[in-house]
Amino acid sequence: MIKLLEKLPSEECPKLIHRVVDEVCGRSGPSRSDYSDRWSLTEWLELMNSFSSLIRFAVGRGCSDQEMQTLLSDLDTTHTEAVLQCVRSRFEEIRQALVDRTNGISSTQLRDFNWQLKLALSSDKLSALNTPLLNLSLDLKENGIQRSVNIEMNKEELQTLISALEAANKVVLQLK
Amino acid sequence: MEEVDRILIHSLRQAGTDIDEDVQSVKQFTSELIVEAVVRCLRVIDPAVGNGLSHSLPPGMSARFRLGMSLAQACQDVGFKGEIGYQTFLYSNEPEIRSLFMFLVERLPRESAEASDQPAGKSVLLQRAIAAQIKAQLSVPWLPPTCRLPVHRKTQSSGPCHSFHAQPLSLPCSLKVSSRKQPKEVQEYWRNYLLPVTAQPSQPASVPASLLENHISELSAAQEWESEWNSQGLLSRLTPEEYRSRKKARLQKRIEEQLRTAAQPRPDTHGATRSTSDLAELLQSFGGASTGGDVLTKGTRFTHTEKFTFTQEPEKAVQQMAAAASALPSSQQSEEDLKAQQEAELSALQQQLQQLSVQMEEVGGGIKQLTVSIQQVTDELQTREVTNAERENSVKIKRQTIDLLPDAENNLLKLQSLVESSSKRVVQLASQWEKHRVPLIDEHRRLKELCSNRESESSRKLSEIKDLHDKIRQSAEEAKKKESLYKQLLTEFETLSKDVSRSAYTIRILEIVGNIKKQKEEITKILSDTKDLQKEINGLTGKLDRTFAVTDELVFKDAKKDESVRKSYKYLAALHENCTQLIQTIEDTGTIMREIRDLEEQIETENGKRTVSNLEKILEDYKAIRQENSALAAKIREG
Repeated sequence: MIKLLEKLPSEECPKLIHRVVDEVCGRSGPSRSDYSDRWSLTEWLELMNSFSSLIRFAVGRGCSDQEMQTLLSDLDTTHTEAVLQCVRSRFEEIRQALVDRTNGISSTQLRDFNWQLKLALSSDKLSALNTPLLNLSLDLKENGIQRSVNIEMNKEELQTLISALEAANKVVLQLK
Repeated sequence: MEEVDRILIHSLRQAGTDIDEDVQSVKQFTSELIVEAVVRCLRVIDPAVGNGLSHSLPPGMSARFRLGMSLAQACQDVGFKGEIGYQTFLYSNEPEIRSLFMFLVERLPRESAEASDQPAGKSVLLQRAIAAQIKAQLSVPWLPPTCRLPVHRKTQSSGPCHSFHAQPLSLPCSLKVSSRKQPKEVQEYWRNYLLPVTAQPSQPASVPASLLENHISELSAAQEWESEWNSQGLLSRLTPEEYRSRKKARLQKRIEEQLRTAAQPRPDTHGATRSTSDLAELLQSFGGASTGGDVLTKGTRFTHTEKFTFTQEPEKAVQQMAAAASALPSSQQSEEDLKAQQEAELSALQQQLQQLSVQMEEVGGGIKQLTVSIQQVTDELQTREVTNAERENSVKIKRQTIDLLPDAENNLLKLQSLVESSSKRVVQLASQWEKHRVPLIDEHRRLKELCSNRESESSRKLSEIKDLHDKIRQSAEEAKKKESLYKQLLTEFETLSKDVSRSAYTIRILEIVGNIKKQKEEITKILSDTKDLQKEINGLTGKLDRTFAVTDELVFKDAKKDESVRKSYKYLAALHENCTQLIQTIEDTGTIMREIRDLEEQIETENGKRTVSNLEKILEDYKAIRQENSALAAKIREG
C-alpha cells in the first residue's frame, strides 16, 4: 500500500505527509480533491489508512531510523527519506497526541466544554425575577460517538456541582 | 357604604385575598372569606403573627372555634380596640366586620410608597436598561436574512451562536517545544509546511477558541509547575530535571503497584484471566520501559539532555583524536625543529617574565610601605605644629608678665583699676542691654500672641471652609440623588397607567365633603328652629301661667261675692286642668313616637346582624360539637 506514494514526486511528498500527521494529531487532514488525479478513492483511503497507522506505530514504539527504514522498505530512498524527515520533525507532537489518546481510556470522556452565564430578568409570571443561570454544555465522547450535554443550573445547583468537582480534584491531587 | 366596601375589597385583594368578582359588599362575605382576608392582612402587617395562622377554615367545629379565638387574639395584639371574639368571624354581622376590615386596611404598610423614595441603585438601573433594550428588540419584527438592514444585523444575526470548540494547534513557540535549538528538520517543517494558525482548525470559527484553549493549558501547566516547584521542589534541593525524573519514577512505581494489585489472578473468574494476563504483559513491558526505556521512549527533557551530553562527549573525544591522528603523519622534519626552537625560546621568555613579575611585586610592596610611613610623618608634623602654636602663646603671656614684674606694686594697682573699670563697664552695658531688651521682649511677646491669634483664627476659618465644602458636596450629592429620583419617578409616572379610579375617588370625596357641609348647614338650621320653638313654647307657657294666675286671682276674689262667678271659677279650674292634661298627652305621644323610632332603628340593626341565620348556624355548630364530643367520648371508651 505504501508503494502508492511513489506516484507522487518526492518534492510534494512532505506536504502530504505533514497533513496526514495533522490528522493523527486531531486536526483536518489532506483533502482528496487536491490529489484526485493521482489516486482512485480506494487507493486514497488505503494510502491514508496505512500511513496514519504506520506513523502511529513508529512513534508509539519509538522506532529508530533503521527500524523506520525497514518499515518503509517498499519505497525508494528519496521517498523514504522524505517520510523519515516528516516523522522526525513531528515526533514530539505525534507522541503528545498518542499520549492524549491513551489518556482517554474510559468509555466516556470530556472533549470540550463551554459555559454561558445568563440573567433571567423576568418570566411570564413574574415581572422581576433577576435570577442568574449558568448554561453548561459538555461535549462528550461516548464509546467513540460525539454527544453534547446541556445543563442549566441556578446558583445552588452550581454550588453543588462545584463542590463535587472540588472533591474530585482533591482525590486527583492525592494521587500525585 | 358601597364606596367604602369597594375600597375595602380592593385593598384586601392587594393584600393577597382571593375574592370573587361578584362579591360587591361586605355583606356578602362568608366566614371562610372573612377568615382568609383577616389572616392575609395579618400576614402583611406582622408576619410573625400571621404565619402561625392558617387562612382556611378547618372542617372540625372545635378547631374552627380555636382558630376564631386565636384570630381575635391576634387582632387585639395588632391593636384593634373594638369588641372582638370568635363569634366575630364565625357568626359575622356586617358593621363589626366592616369596622374590623377598616382597621386592618389602615394598618397595612404602604411599602410601595416608602420604597420608591429611595433612588434606585446602579444594578437596578442597569437591569432596567437591559429590560428596556430587550423589550425594544422583541418589539422589532423578525425579518428573513436577506431582508435585513444593517440595523437589524446586530440583533438578529446568528453570529454569536457559534459554539466553543477547541482543537489542538501546532505552534513553533510554546512551552511544550523546549527552548533549546531544534534539529534542522523541525526548523524546516516550521519554515515550509506549517500552516498559519488561522488555517489549522477545520472551521474558521474555532480559531479563537483553539488559541485561547492552547494558551490557557500552557499557562495553567506553567503555573502548576511553578507552584509545585516553589512548595516542594525547592525543599528537595534537586535541580528541576532531577526533581522531574524522580517524580516520574515515583508515579510510575505507583501505577505499577496499582496495576499489579488489580492483576492478581482470580481463580473464580474465567473471563478475567485473559485480561489479567494482558495486564501482566503490560506490566512487563512497563517494567522494561522504566528500566531500559527503549520500548516507550517517554523521555522527559532530562533524559533527552542526559543522552545528548553523554553521547556527545565521546564523539568529541573521538573527533579530537582523529584530528590529532590526521595531523601527525603530514608534519615535516623542519617544522619540528622550528617548533622545538620556538618552544625553547618561549620557555626562556616565560622564565624572564616570571622573574620580572616577582621583581614588580617586591617593588610594589616597598612603595606601599613608603606611602604608609609618609602618612604617619605628616600626621606627626601636624600635631607638632599645633603644640608649637600653643607654646608660643604661653611664651608671649609669660614675657609680658616678666616685663611688668620690676614695678610690681604700681602695675598691680593699675591692673586692679583696669579690672574694676572694665567690670563697671560690663555692668553698665548689662543695664543698657536690659533697658533695650525689655521693650524688645515685650514687643516679641505681643507679636507672638498676635501671630498665634491669627493662626487660631485662620485654622478656625479653615475648618469653617472645610465644613462648607463638606456641606456643598453633601448638598450636591443630595441634589443629584433627588434629581435622579425625580427622573426615575417621572419615568415611572409616565409608565404608570393613568388611574381613572383615583380621580373618581377624589371627585367622590369632594362631593361627599360638600354633602356633609350641606347637611351640617341643614342640621344647624333645624337646631336653631327647634331652639326658637323651644323659646316660643317657654314664652307661651310663661304667659299662660301668668294670665292664669291673674284670672284665677280676679275670679277667686269675685267668686266669694257671686255664685255664678264661683261656677265660672270652677270651670276655669277644670279648663286649666284639662289643658295641662292635653299638653301632657301631646308630650307623651312625642316621646312615644321617638321611642318607636328608636326601636325601629334597633330592629333594623338587629335585622342587619342576621340574628336568625346566625342562631341557626350556632345551633347547627352546637350540634356538631356535641357530635364531635360524643364521637371522642366513644373513642375514649373504645380505647
